[in-house]
Amino acid sequence: MKYRVTHKTSYAGHEAVSIGHNQAWLEFRPVDHQFVESFSLTILPEPSVKTRRIDSFRNPVHAFSFNEGYQRLDVTATTLVTVRPPDTAPASCSATWESIAATIKQHVQNDDRDAIEFAFASPRIHWNAEMRAYALQSFTVSRPMMEAVRELTARIHHDFVYDSRATTVNTPVAEVFRLKRGVCQDFAHLQIAMLRSLGIPARYVSGYLRTIPPEGQPRLVGADASHAWLSVYCGSAHWADVDPTNDALCSTDHIALAWGRDYGDVPPLTGVFMGGGQHRLIVNVDVLPIG
Amino acid sequence: MATGLTSNPRTELTFECPAFVFNEVFAPDGTPRPQWQKFLNAYRNVPQPEFARRNEQADRMLRENGVNYHSATEGGEGARPWRLDLLPMLMSSADWSVIEVALSQRARLLNLIIADIYGPQKLLEEGLLPPEVLFANQEYLRPFCGLGRPDISPMFLYAAELARSANGQWWVMADRSEAPAGPGFALENRIVSSRTMPSAFKQIPVERLASFFVHLQNALRRRAVRNIESPRIVLLSSGPTHPYYFEDVYLARYLGYTMVEGGDLAVRNDTVFLKTLSGLVPVDIVLGRCAESGLDPLELGGYAAHGIPGLLNAVRSGNVTVANTPGCGIVGAPVFMAFLPQICERWLGESLKMPSISTWWCGDANSFSLVISRFNNLVLKPAFQKSGNEEFIISDLTSEKQKEVRARVEAAPHAWVAQEKISRSGVPVWTQNGIRCGHAAVRAFLVEDEAMWHLMPGGLIRIAPDSGPMQLSVSAGDGSKDLWVIAERKVDPVSLLAPTDQPAELRRTSALFPSRVADNLFWLGRSIDRCDFLGRLIRALSERLVGEGNVDLTEIRFLARALSEQGQLEPGFVVDGMESQLPTLAEALPIAMFDPTEYGGLARTVRDLTRLASLVRDWISPDTWHRINVTAETFRTAQTKDWRDLADVVNVSNSLIGDLASVSGLIADGMNRGPSWRFLELGRCIERAGATARLLLTAEIKRGGASPGMLKTLVEVLDVRMTYRFRYRDNLQRNAVLDLAITDETNPRSLAYQIERLVQHVDRLPGYEARPLRSEEMRLVMDAAHAVRMLTTDDLSAPTPRSVQSVLKTVEETMSVLSDTLTRKYLVHSGTPRQITDIAGGSQ
Repeated sequence: MKYRVTHKTSYAGHEAVSIGHNQAWLEFRPVDHQFVESFSLTILPEPSVKTRRIDSFRNPVHAFSFNEGYQRLDVTATTLVTVRPPDTAPASCSATWESIAATIKQHVQNDDRDAIEFAFASPRIHWNAEMRAYALQSFTVSRPMMEAVRELTARIHHDFVYDSRATTVNTPVAEVFRLKRGVCQDFAHLQIAMLRSLGIPARYVSGYLRTIPPEGQPRLVGADASHAWLSVYCGSAHWADVDPTNDALCSTDHIALAWGRDYGDVPPLTGVFMGGGQHRLIVNVDVLPIG
Repeated sequence: MATGLTSNPRTELTFECPAFVFNEVFAPDGTPRPQWQKFLNAYRNVPQPEFARRNEQADRMLRENGVNYHSATEGGEGARPWRLDLLPMLMSSADWSVIEVALSQRARLLNLIIADIYGPQKLLEEGLLPPEVLFANQEYLRPFCGLGRPDISPMFLYAAELARSANGQWWVMADRSEAPAGPGFALENRIVSSRTMPSAFKQIPVERLASFFVHLQNALRRRAVRNIESPRIVLLSSGPTHPYYFEDVYLARYLGYTMVEGGDLAVRNDTVFLKTLSGLVPVDIVLGRCAESGLDPLELGGYAAHGIPGLLNAVRSGNVTVANTPGCGIVGAPVFMAFLPQICERWLGESLKMPSISTWWCGDANSFSLVISRFNNLVLKPAFQKSGNEEFIISDLTSEKQKEVRARVEAAPHAWVAQEKISRSGVPVWTQNGIRCGHAAVRAFLVEDEAMWHLMPGGLIRIAPDSGPMQLSVSAGDGSKDLWVIAERKVDPVSLLAPTDQPAELRRTSALFPSRVADNLFWLGRSIDRCDFLGRLIRALSERLVGEGNVDLTEIRFLARALSEQGQLEPGFVVDGMESQLPTLAEALPIAMFDPTEYGGLARTVRDLTRLASLVRDWISPDTWHRINVTAETFRTAQTKDWRDLADVVNVSNSLIGDLASVSGLIADGMNRGPSWRFLELGRCIERAGATARLLLTAEIKRGGASPGMLKTLVEVLDVRMTYRFRYRDNLQRNAVLDLAITDETNPRSLAYQIERLVQHVDRLPGYEARPLRSEEMRLVMDAAHAVRMLTTDDLSAPTPRSVQSVLKTVEETMSVLSDTLTRKYLVHSGTPRQITDIAGGSQ
């Protein structure tokens, strides 16, 4: 499946921002089943200085800053990307979840040791006993890993209401769990928290969904904006992506952009600025299937 | 019990030292250890009362130098005085160099570990560190990955907390790798002890500390990115709320660096600049004295006072050096102690020369069962937090609390370490009631200069009242001691000033004048004059209230109204029929005077004086600073006595006015007429002119003439009694008083004089000469000057002096607008930084 992904962020205020420093996670990271044909990042006005680096999770990051003030900032990322279906899950994903968790804890293999980075609490992901108990209803004794993960994804989808007014980017996971409401980012954080509470590594994936569904299929939730889901580690270097917002096992409708421990590691656009009075942030995402 | 010699108990340094701890002074057979002999002889010659007197003198010096630290437990405001026991702790230089070798090895090892953690992470690959130590650790900050430079090691300044156990073995209790606190306190302790005991320093060859700071300066200079002869270095502080702010100020001054907070620096084109009055000046090296986790709000989040958005990218771009390199803090966590011996063996091919306090990481299954088996004999700490935060001495806890801690450890064993308890060595501590035994926590400081680590020949000793575990922070414990390293031969003096025959390049200005300093000086100026003005009003009112015989109610009403307009008294006292209120007023005045909650009130303004003075300590003379401190201290201690008597109010305001006059004198006589003086003076003139105009408006000099009493009060509060008497004797006339107060340019207290000076100051503000036409602030002061100058003699003697009233109003308003204009234009260069994500609201 080939897409043109356009991600436009506009940031406008009544008064000019005097100085601004920004970082953007808008360039696609290398992913096995994705091929990036072209990428461009347009920033208006032209920043005083621009740099690109690779972060510690190997995502590309663009940093740019302005010495002169601006009233309006437009950041547009355009990418042509081909997505193939990910490899089917290896046999390890059907092992019992306890055996997988125990192996990771031993981290004898290099791959397990890399995965363990995503097994602990992170700045935006903490859990409590109730969240763990909720997860354990699906992670019953000796259940195969993927089966339990799929059921947990389905339950979150069923028990939680998609509500873009209930939360903000800074709402804690425990609050989302209590409200039973939120957006894709909240549900991804929540399921990650539950998995980590069981000792299973899970990472946060920032990405996109195809905007126009294939004929005869319903439109997916969260398609007009950037999307978020999670990757679960099943041992032996295999990660499986699941989307609690749509109760889906991710395939060619999901296009991964960047990943980290939680949203805070890979926000599409962040920045620190001075001045500028009241401001509005407008995000437009278009994911167009081509060919 | 091991005790000392007892031949002459009056002058011998004897103390009761428990048998289970190492006695620093006496060997088990009761003979003094060799390095103590000379000191004991010297001490023997000092009579007890004399030693007591010197201890008091030391206390006073520390207090007057403003040596303090903020105690986090007392919340916000409480600055606690630093305490020094003049009895030093002594080490022979042979013993100290053994410690130097051991700690140098440790510092080298820690540097390798830091570079690896934020670099290739071979330690994980080789199994020398379990991955949890990084990945479960919130102090492992990914933006620091790859920040290190190949040409320098990440850490150049390091401190170790040491303790000596009963068998004489030294142990490392904690590592301080981020921005070690204490070298400034050690230096101040040394300065005070050498001044109070000069003869001891003459007789005993004590190693000087200065060599350490020379190394520090050289090492820092060599870390510059480019090969620059004299790189521009700033000391980054997290500001006055930080517990060791005093030390930041002290070190900046001693080392000759400009002290800055985050807001003083700005990143442009990936280069760090200092905001000065004359524009942005590039900075080469930032000496960090703050938590690294707040350094760059862009990448690390948060709003730390020392945060500089974009700093990390500037470091990555190779345009600035931050020292220590951000990321060094991580190895200060106790969990690393459990792995140091193996890493040392494998990476340095030798064993660790000084052991860490025995440490078990509970994340290891074997260690965990060992810890559980002897749980109640251990100290439990969070594995990843820097030592000195939360810790549990299990044997001291109730059984309930023990269970609770155990449950926490069992729930997340990887997040905990257990450590052995250790009994610290005993040292004599001088108290009012004689010598007692204290237990020594030694902080040793090291600096890396040209690939060699140098141990400070001295250090900071803190005293624990008992031998058990103590908190490891600089402020913990029961006072401090100086550490003397006794050399084998005579000690050569070292000074920070490099001897040179090269004449200096002559200058009239110093290049760096941060805008924030100008801001603080401006407000310091305003506070000095505000204190003086309030002091005079209060003195005048209280004198009238205690006065014998008939009280002139108009005078009292006028003064009470003037005070209530300044926010110093409740307006309720100003109503008619106030005769009945006089007793209440007499009671309210002393209370109001010392009410620290009243904004703009005297107590608050006096407190502002010391606060602001300490912020600009580098920019005013030591004598001025000292005088301001004493002024505030005198005022503050007067209030602690329980008194309500108006006579005391008169005394306190008298001494306040006198003290402030000497502050003014020091400023007038000694302060260089550069930009710092100018901003101080701008503040003073604006405050004085505004307050004088307000007072004259309050006096409502109307038809029918002001009463002689009123005029007398005005002359008194405006401090022009002498001049008036010389010119007019006792003939009090309204127009003459107004002339003296408003239009007489020869009277330094008049509006005309103050405004004329403002014109001169504004004319010399930076960048003024380059602009066409008059600036906004210039037009403002010229307006006021013009209004005052255009008054005629008829205006002053008119029955209803309307034109005088309107001039006064103009002056009062102009001063307030001028203050805002100057602040906006010169003093506050930027607002508070904000995060885009915080305003983004809901996102998908």
